[in-house]
Amino acid sequence: MPNHIQSAGNLKSLAKASALGKGVVTCMNLSKSMISHVEVAEGVRLKCGRIHEVSGPASDVFAMLVSAKRESEIMWIGLNREIRSLCATGMERYVSPDRIILVETVSRDEALWTTEQALRATGGFTVILDLPNTLSLKESRRFQLAAEHGGGIGLVLIKGSASNSAAQTRWFCRQLPDKNDTWEWDCLKGKNGESGKWHIHYQGGVNATDIVHMATATSA
Amino acid sequence: MPRILSIWLPLLPLNRLVRRGDPRVVGPFAMTVEEKNAWRITHTNKKSKEAGVKPGQSLADARAICPDLLTEPCDPVKEEGLLRTLWRWADVLSPQIALDSPDGLLLNIDGCAHLFGGEVDMAEYAKSRLNDLRINVRMGIADTKMAARALARFGTKFVNIAEAGKTNEIVANLPIAALGLSSAITTDLMRSGLTHIGQLSQHKSSELARRFGLELTNSISTITGQTPDPIIRKNPDTTYAARMTLPDPIGLMDDIDEVLKRLATHVCNKLNADNKGARRFSLTVRCVDTGDHTMSIGFAQPCFDSEAILRQFTYPLSKLKIDFGADWFRLSAHQLEHIQLKQMSMGEKTNHSDSKYKLIDVVGNRVGFDRVRVFQHHENYLPEYGFGQIQVANKPQESWRYAKRLRPVRLFDPPEHAKVTTSGRPPQRFVWRNTTFDTKSTKGPERLTPRWFKDKDLRTRDYWIVQTQQGQRLWLLTYPGTHKKEWYVAGEFG
Repeated sequence: MPNHIQSAGNLKSLAKASALGKGVVTCMNLSKSMISHVEVAEGVRLKCGRIHEVSGPASDVFAMLVSAKRESEIMWIGLNREIRSLCATGMERYVSPDRIILVETVSRDEALWTTEQALRATGGFTVILDLPNTLSLKESRRFQLAAEHGGGIGLVLIKGSASNSAAQTRWFCRQLPDKNDTWEWDCLKGKNGESGKWHIHYQGGVNATDIVHMATATSA
Repeated sequence: MPRILSIWLPLLPLNRLVRRGDPRVVGPFAMTVEEKNAWRITHTNKKSKEAGVKPGQSLADARAICPDLLTEPCDPVKEEGLLRTLWRWADVLSPQIALDSPDGLLLNIDGCAHLFGGEVDMAEYAKSRLNDLRINVRMGIADTKMAARALARFGTKFVNIAEAGKTNEIVANLPIAALGLSSAITTDLMRSGLTHIGQLSQHKSSELARRFGLELTNSISTITGQTPDPIIRKNPDTTYAARMTLPDPIGLMDDIDEVLKRLATHVCNKLNADNKGARRFSLTVRCVDTGDHTMSIGFAQPCFDSEAILRQFTYPLSKLKIDFGADWFRLSAHQLEHIQLKQMSMGEKTNHSDSKYKLIDVVGNRVGFDRVRVFQHHENYLPEYGFGQIQVANKPQESWRYAKRLRPVRLFDPPEHAKVTTSGRPPQRFVWRNTTFDTKSTKGPERLTPRWFKDKDLRTRDYWIVQTQQGQRLWLLTYPGTHKKEWYVAGEFG
């Protein structure tokens, strides 16, 4: 089962983190964010101190539900078009807009720099990078190292086809047309062998966290 | 009765140029101002005065009299700056100072004069200090503000003193113009043969008021002290700045860091002592070859931490080209705010918010603080006006209020056109962003009317929530009542 694999992976990441840890600040992070993973729904676990790739038409909701499960601030980084199209009155269903800090950058390079700074910062931020094109292996590797240092979680919303990257997991999210507020989350790639497909139903009202998996078709 | 010292700087604009070392002031020179489409002389130096140039003359006339005349227009902003500098200096004389714009200062010297050895010595001291600064000055000391001003401007000597209680006798010898009345009344008085203030006391004030208006009698009673006219003390604000001048230029990064460190420590100690923090710091570096370079950094929270200032200046300093070194540095703090001292971190929440602001500082200084934003709730039912994005620094304390209507996660403003292939209400099949969508189920319409008093686009809107067979839930928009049956995608629910 993926759960077992994940918990073994967590122990490993803890060991790695303490080896990397410099000074007191990192230790503080260990206590909260670095130890564990985020459990978005039953069985859907994302490791902290890592970056994850999200693709598909429902990737926004995935990113918001992950950030809602964490306590830290959310940095949403992207170009003008992406940042300006975010609608706070619609996002409030999934995550409180008060927690979101938007960074609108003028170029892709600036967005990459900001993302690295945010991942490296010692606040354990949830960093969402929203770019029209995907990351190269070099870029994602850099983010991965920064995330390990900062202990936060990085979510890269990829549009179009994914390329080879250093991300921990890659998800494909789409809505199911049969029922309202139901999504299919498909874990396409996992470095530690995570895989599976979940049907998720959102029950809650305003940014409630009641997420129920409808049918779990796990294929480990 | 208080004792008032009025300092009048009759040639302030000219003195500014003299102090700057302008070479033109050696010959005949005058300051000008544009009045009713004509340039007029305002201030003259000694040589131009000898040539016959007078204040009030038009520039063309002055040039005809003195062909060698050189002129410069007055710059009120810079002259005000010089006056304010003198205002800060004037607290060596008395703690109660008021600005008397555009070219004077008023000081209440009650109980201060004896520190200089009497009023005469005090005035002489001030005069010699100002003359050292190459500033021409005339002074008047009297019991009332008006009388001191009048003495400074119309007295015969550089320092005119009306001894305590003798103000009225001395003021009586001054011309009518010293009352500072409007030119119409002054001319009127002169025409009726009244040339000195003393002559007015021979007439009943009721008669004067009837003939010349209350303005005259009011100013007579203020100049004689019958109506109180106190100095409203306004001391200059403290500036939080430090500068360093070096005997030789420096160019190594380590040296500049050391200079900045000393300046920052000084400024921060000053801020700390007053419980203040600044949101913006600017640093001016004077390079020996390329002149002044000013760079500034901002903070998301008021800051008084010298380490943070050093850190944030590293990037702009690294961009600066110092080829031949720099020998003058000035660091100043702007946008000052009071700091509410809080308990240092006891839990993780403080730590988190500290690191949040640190990150905003770093990002904001690189990409610009206007690009680091948070959401703000607006009370409006139109989807595009229901929220806004504002700078982090302007974020209000109140938390987010939840809207009652279902809105999409992504909102496209302006809405994107959808090409209808199979019509319907909403369309059965349409193309948006090069993808064909088939409608499975719909919900709506939600009809919204724009605010007739504010919005430009006054079309009524119908919004539909459309669940497509492809999975995406879209927010379709149409304008009912218009002839064209166009459909737009206004948002995506995700």
